[in-house]
Amino acid sequence: MSEMANTDPEGIDAVRMTWNVWPRTKVEASKCVIPLAATIAPIRPHPDIPTLPYAPLRCRTCSAALNAFARVDLVAKIWICPFCYQRNHFPPHYAMISETNLPCELYPQYTTVQYTLQPDPNNPSSAPQLPPVFVFVLDTCMIEEELEFVKSAMKQAIGLLPENALVGFVSFGTQAHVHELGFSDMSKVYVFRGNKEITKEQVLEQLGLGAAGRRPTAGYPKGLQNGFTNTGVNRFLLPASDCEFTLNSLLDELQTDQWPVQAGHRASRCTGVALSVAAGLLGACLPGTGARIVALVGGPCTEGPGTIVSKDLSEPVRSHKDLDKDAAPYFKKAVKFYDSLAKQLVSQGHVLDLFASALDQVGVAEMKVAVERTGGLVVLAESFGHSVFKDSFKRVFKDGEQTLGLCFNGTLEINCSKDIKIQGVIGPCTSLEKKGPNVADTVIGEGNTTAWKMCGLDKSTCFTVLFDVSSSDKSNAPGVANPQLYLQFLTSYQDPEGKTMLRVTTVTRQWVDSAVSSEELIQGFDQETAAVVMARITSLKMEMEEGFDATRWLDRNLIRLCSKFGNYRKDDPSSFTLNPCFSLFPQFMFNLRRSQFVQVFNNSPDETAYFRMLLNRENITNAAVMIQPSLISYSFNSLPQPALLDVASISADRILLLDSYFSIVIFHGMTIAQWRNMGYQNQPEHQAFAQLLQAPQDDAQMIIRERFPVPRLVVCDQHGSQARFLLAKLNPSATYNNANEMAAGSDVIFTDDVSLQVFFEHLQRLAVQS
Amino acid sequence: MAAPVPPGAPRPGANARQQSPHPNFNPNFQTNPNSLADNMQNMNLNRPHSMPNSGPRPSPFGQPPPFPQSSVTAGFPVASPPMSRPGPPPGMVGRPAVIPAGPLQSTLPANVPPGRPVGLPVSHPLPFGSRPPPASLSSSTGGAVLPSSAFPSSGVSSASAAPPPPGTRPSSFVSSSPLTGGPAGPMSSARAGPSSNGPPAVGAGALPGAPQFPPPAIVSQPPVGPPPSMMSARAPAQAPTMRSVLGSSAVSSPQTPPLPSASSPFPAMTQARPPPPGSPYGPQTWSMQPQQGTQPPHIPGSTHAQPPRMFGMPQQALPNQAMTNIPPALGQPGAPMSGSSKIDPNQIPRPIPNATPIVYETRHGNSANPPPPATSDYIVRDTGNCSPRYMRCTINQIPCTGDLLTTSAMQLALLVQPMALPHPSEDPIQVVDFGESGPVRCSRCKGYINPFMKFIDQGRKFICNLCGFTDDTPRDYHCNLGPDGRRRDADERPELCRGTVEFVASKEYMVRDPMPAVYFFLIDVSMNAVQTGATAAACSAINQVISDLPEGTRTQVGIATFDSTIHFYNLKRALQQPLMLIVPDIQDVYTPLETDVIVQLSECRQHLELLLENIPTMFQTSTTAESCFGAAIKAAFLAMKSIGGKLLVFQSVLPSVGIGALSSREAEGRTNISASEKEAHKLLQPADKILKTMAIEFAEYQVCVDVFVTTQTYVDIASISVIPRTTGGQVYYYYPFSAVSDPAKLYNDLRWNITRPQGFEAVMRVRCSQGIQVQDYSGNFCKRIPTDVDLAGIDCDKCILVTLKHDDKLQDGSECGFQCALLYTTVYGQRRIRVTNLSLPCTNMLSNLFRSADLDTQFTCFLKQAAIEIPTCPLLQVRDHVTNLCINILLSYRKFCATVSSTGQLILPEALKLLPLYTLALIKSRGLRNDGRIDDRSFWFNYVSSLSTPLAIPLVYPRMFAIHNVDTKVIKFLVGLWSKVF
Repeated sequence: MSEMANTDPEGIDAVRMTWNVWPRTKVEASKCVIPLAATIAPIRPHPDIPTLPYAPLRCRTCSAALNAFARVDLVAKIWICPFCYQRNHFPPHYAMISETNLPCELYPQYTTVQYTLQPDPNNPSSAPQLPPVFVFVLDTCMIEEELEFVKSAMKQAIGLLPENALVGFVSFGTQAHVHELGFSDMSKVYVFRGNKEITKEQVLEQLGLGAAGRRPTAGYPKGLQNGFTNTGVNRFLLPASDCEFTLNSLLDELQTDQWPVQAGHRASRCTGVALSVAAGLLGACLPGTGARIVALVGGPCTEGPGTIVSKDLSEPVRSHKDLDKDAAPYFKKAVKFYDSLAKQLVSQGHVLDLFASALDQVGVAEMKVAVERTGGLVVLAESFGHSVFKDSFKRVFKDGEQTLGLCFNGTLEINCSKDIKIQGVIGPCTSLEKKGPNVADTVIGEGNTTAWKMCGLDKSTCFTVLFDVSSSDKSNAPGVANPQLYLQFLTSYQDPEGKTMLRVTTVTRQWVDSAVSSEELIQGFDQETAAVVMARITSLKMEMEEGFDATRWLDRNLIRLCSKFGNYRKDDPSSFTLNPCFSLFPQFMFNLRRSQFVQVFNNSPDETAYFRMLLNRENITNAAVMIQPSLISYSFNSLPQPALLDVASISADRILLLDSYFSIVIFHGMTIAQWRNMGYQNQPEHQAFAQLLQAPQDDAQMIIRERFPVPRLVVCDQHGSQARFLLAKLNPSATYNNANEMAAGSDVIFTDDVSLQVFFEHLQRLAVQS
Repeated sequence: MAAPVPPGAPRPGANARQQSPHPNFNPNFQTNPNSLADNMQNMNLNRPHSMPNSGPRPSPFGQPPPFPQSSVTAGFPVASPPMSRPGPPPGMVGRPAVIPAGPLQSTLPANVPPGRPVGLPVSHPLPFGSRPPPASLSSSTGGAVLPSSAFPSSGVSSASAAPPPPGTRPSSFVSSSPLTGGPAGPMSSARAGPSSNGPPAVGAGALPGAPQFPPPAIVSQPPVGPPPSMMSARAPAQAPTMRSVLGSSAVSSPQTPPLPSASSPFPAMTQARPPPPGSPYGPQTWSMQPQQGTQPPHIPGSTHAQPPRMFGMPQQALPNQAMTNIPPALGQPGAPMSGSSKIDPNQIPRPIPNATPIVYETRHGNSANPPPPATSDYIVRDTGNCSPRYMRCTINQIPCTGDLLTTSAMQLALLVQPMALPHPSEDPIQVVDFGESGPVRCSRCKGYINPFMKFIDQGRKFICNLCGFTDDTPRDYHCNLGPDGRRRDADERPELCRGTVEFVASKEYMVRDPMPAVYFFLIDVSMNAVQTGATAAACSAINQVISDLPEGTRTQVGIATFDSTIHFYNLKRALQQPLMLIVPDIQDVYTPLETDVIVQLSECRQHLELLLENIPTMFQTSTTAESCFGAAIKAAFLAMKSIGGKLLVFQSVLPSVGIGALSSREAEGRTNISASEKEAHKLLQPADKILKTMAIEFAEYQVCVDVFVTTQTYVDIASISVIPRTTGGQVYYYYPFSAVSDPAKLYNDLRWNITRPQGFEAVMRVRCSQGIQVQDYSGNFCKRIPTDVDLAGIDCDKCILVTLKHDDKLQDGSECGFQCALLYTTVYGQRRIRVTNLSLPCTNMLSNLFRSADLDTQFTCFLKQAAIEIPTCPLLQVRDHVTNLCINILLSYRKFCATVSSTGQLILPEALKLLPLYTLALIKSRGLRNDGRIDDRSFWFNYVSSLSTPLAIPLVYPRMFAIHNVDTKVIKFLVGLWSKVF
């Protein structure tokens, strides 16, 4: 809804904040209930962002980049850093600077600029343009049919890769097979046992990369065709153009895992070992360059490190309940393993992408840490034949308009005004543990730092930065307090073409003394962002804090918020009103409480992990849709229009289009479905009906096209079994308890959940309590 | 006896060269300060035995004297001083004498090579004649059935005898042939009794021999018989026993026939002599002398006659007792001998050596028939006892008490070779199927039904010959007894009338379905292996041998290569090309595939052939010097674990990495001399227990490992060999490997390895009658419980030494039974129980023991025991021990059976008259010398551990062949033979 109104709330900076004016003190900030947070999509493209072919000027003390908010003395050729107030001289090549000849970064509208970092002229080889690297890690423990699907997907992907992209291939089942693509005599495979943890050093030694393989780590590889002296590169990683044929024939011959599976047992699958071997291979061959491990997994790891469940089928894969009761014996160990794998990958600058397709869980919950810390992509589907996987996978490798803009080796640095402390970042990154005066004591997410590593990031990747206001500033405040606060985000990364880029976004907001006036504060509230940030924090707390009661916590915060910012007479619920800036927030909270992020018990831990990863990396608009789906209704009587997310929106003669981000539901009312079944749409005189049927399909395709991972499309009819996908998201204003009041053609939801109205009533009552 | 002597003579010469033996011998000799000459004379006398007595002697003697002298002088020179003493012993003399003689005499020189030849020369002729036996080879080949191609090599090896690797197979191949060949060779050349066995084959020789000795005592009965029939050749050996055992009458008539057959030994003798005359080379004298000289020592006493024959050093002595008495006594054994002695050798009719083997019946009348020498050519008719090929005892009569045995100082042991190759003319072993119920067994000791179980009570019960328990006859197995107390159906039922039968195993003998024939090839492709051509040789050998693998869907193959990693190959048909699977973790190995590493041969033949062609080139440029042998076999084992099978490993360098990596201990030992001298034998022990532990695991899962070592350096065979030894496999050793000459041999060895009769997942147990129990087993196997021997693989070449001990007294006049049961799976997947029975008479008479001692078996027993000691004892001690074993026997004989002899006489039991010679040879053999390479010695004693009786003597006492006038076929054969002699 809000997104309809504002198509680009983030603007050039791609930054949104929960509060657009900041309370001055820690106490005031905590009274605001919703934490101070900014979300940023650091490399989101925008047509207005200038790209500058030189390196930015950095402040001598805080190394913030020169920006539009710096005070510039054109005469003295001096600029004052807005963060630390350090006076910096312009270097000689800025000598031409003048009122009429300002460099781009000083233009007030260019709060975000991008620099192309040239290779160091003194060391031309230091930053060569490196080809992207893909190591495919393919599970072979699956039925023939699935394997065929995934093989054809891989072949397609290889065909889409740029010619110079280096490709490696690891397959695994009971054991992990590293294919030596550069061996011409026959197919050659290094076999690693699946049940033994293997260190990086062992991988190197056993692949014969021991001594020779290390050399390049010292400096960037140089020379030779591929730019690599490393023999390992030529053996295991070959340019796509060279190895496409080999790979294709290899895939043709690839069989499902040949190790026998006992009856009543799961296939033995060593996902953990396969991934560490792939990581070791990349670490040996190409440390520090952009590389992705593309893992295609068809089931749970049951062998060796990273095991999530025993092979005995009588033991189900852990559920949320097991996790709560600490009855998941493998979970912690597996998480620990993936955590160490994540560390290794981050230190190498490599990405782990996870494409999991199975009807049961595959261990996404355990692998989440490795995927998220490296900024990898994750797609969870039911089958490799399903479009959720097929189309998403294709999207990863495709270029052109819909490219994901996969970038590598990103680093995010944040500079901020003195009084601001950074608690941490929620999103696909890893703390680089770079301490500084702006680091807060309390840590949320990836904290303890002012710099983060993003091994992989794409143009839609979004981070949530949580801030605190330092309480020690009181002393400063009275004096020369600057009414403005500044935040600067510096993101360096390797773009898909191998160029090294640096993007600098500097934003400013106003300090406000909320003790004096809360009106300004209220006006600065971004409820959509706030809802998303609350969802992210809730998810994080649910994962991190044992026994965390998310619903209560959300409720309490909502009540506090309403108490603080609502207008009411004490103890008079009917007098309660909310400023429009807050009006949608309770509804967001209502839906959040009901969402998959909080009500996890309807989902497997894998799904929850998957949802949360996407929640954490998507932009605010998409994340809001995850929390509160959008519903559009199509009928003969009117144009498509947003409908209330309520069961009451269901009508026999309507088609509803529900976008809950992960799935898109086209719901045909009973009558519509009957007409359709009778084939009216095929009759020329009912062309309008055909159009009506087609409209939501087109809209759904549009949404699907824009989104990664590709959402699941559910087409269903009223009272059909698939209709549950819609009903689960609707406000149960009509339940079996009050079914008799319903009009014909509408629907009821069989639930005891409270409806929005009941929720509001309670909220009002509690908010006004003294 | 007599015959043996001659052979012995030559050997002596050979032996003579070495000194060590002397001391031992000396004792006897020592008494006589007399110089070698005396000894010689004695020797002569001995032979002469017969000679002296008879007119003929004079002549021989007359000749001899010169001989001795010459020999002495010559001999001495030749033989180093030490020799002098020992030399004196027959052996010594023999050669020296020979050599000198050769020249002296005349033409011989030409033959000279024969050196020993002296004896040889004479014999040579014969030999040749006999050789023709080489014909025997041919025959054997024919008989062997084995591919002719195989033969050559095998033959060669066998011939070389010494060359274990080759030899082994060859022998196996030729089993029959080798023997024949061997015999012939030995006989001729050495006349060595040992070979003599072979001689039997010669047949012709037999006669001659017979004549010699026989004349005296035998003459009357057997002599005649034998002589006429060439057959007699073997007779000697048997004859003696026979007679002794049977007594005169019985013997005479019935035996005669046997004798002929058995007479082979003699024949050799005879041949030997005859040849001299006939043979261009040696004047008879020569031959005679050598023979005589040699013989005497060996022959010393003709044991047969209880009165030991004394080989008096002094002639006089002999004449007195030994001679006089002996002749009669000797009668049997000596019979021929003595007879011969009285007969001018030149006058003896000499049958032309012919290759017709002797027919040997295992039982005659109702008693055991002593077996012909192991190295002779014979055809067995199983009449109740098993063929001696399968099982033979060191003594063909069992002492009733342990004390008696101890007094004799002899060993009581069985040499069991349960799958030995039969002579082609022998009846195949009959297979008996009892259906679901399985074979009838004693309910107490679980002994299998056999011809010696006595049915009583109208056949309703039977008494177990092993434990004495009375069992009820199963109803459907019941049969009435005939008037003779035997079951009426005894002759129709193989298990009741044959010493060896095979039962079809019922379900209860299977813990799983019988395993298929699985062959896994593991090839070293490290840099050295590739560059020396070893890899190519292995690949080509395997490629050629694929077609020899058993046909059918049950045959599965797998292949892997290794350097510092292990490379498996997926040969599954679905793949367009083989897939190479590398196992890089060589500290903790695993198999890369569960199923497709080992594939049905019929499914992967093309892939396999292609792969084998490619492997050498694929690794051409490899620069990996390391080799992870231990890890590789472990990985291959893991791949085979679920089924078991044969693992054939081609290894070229010292395993340097991975599990069970070895260090170059030999070099270290050299640099640290003080340590190496004190504990030199430590280098012959496995470096650590890792491989042993692995080996036991392999055996448990029925994986049998053969290692083909194709190397040019030290590879620590002492450590590596633990694997094949424990799993029922063997080591083949090609050192220094030559890409030019060795591939053919490698192929041949491999081919025989795969095509020879063999079984898998076998368990073997020997049961004995009450009073005797098995003390220990030794050979290539794994023993997890004391009573059984586990054999992941068993083949026709493997022999197991079973030592026995008394735990009670046996009844004089009764028979003691031995039963070896081998449960195994054939290459075609049938589960079978091969039951081999031997029943021998018990005796209270010490003299009977000496008379019925089995020279070949006794010596093989020595040999194997020495081999066992080599890695654990200082060399000197081992030699002393061997020597003492021999001395003690002779001493006992002298003490208790030859009381009349004077101190100056060396008295030898007739049956064991060659024992000193062989003992000397043994002491000089590679394994017991400290001047050899560690690997050579390790190989030697490992080779010995599974060595069969027929090959044992040729190993230490090589056969010799004259090659100057043989037909081209034989030359080819011999050239091949020698190319690899080491």
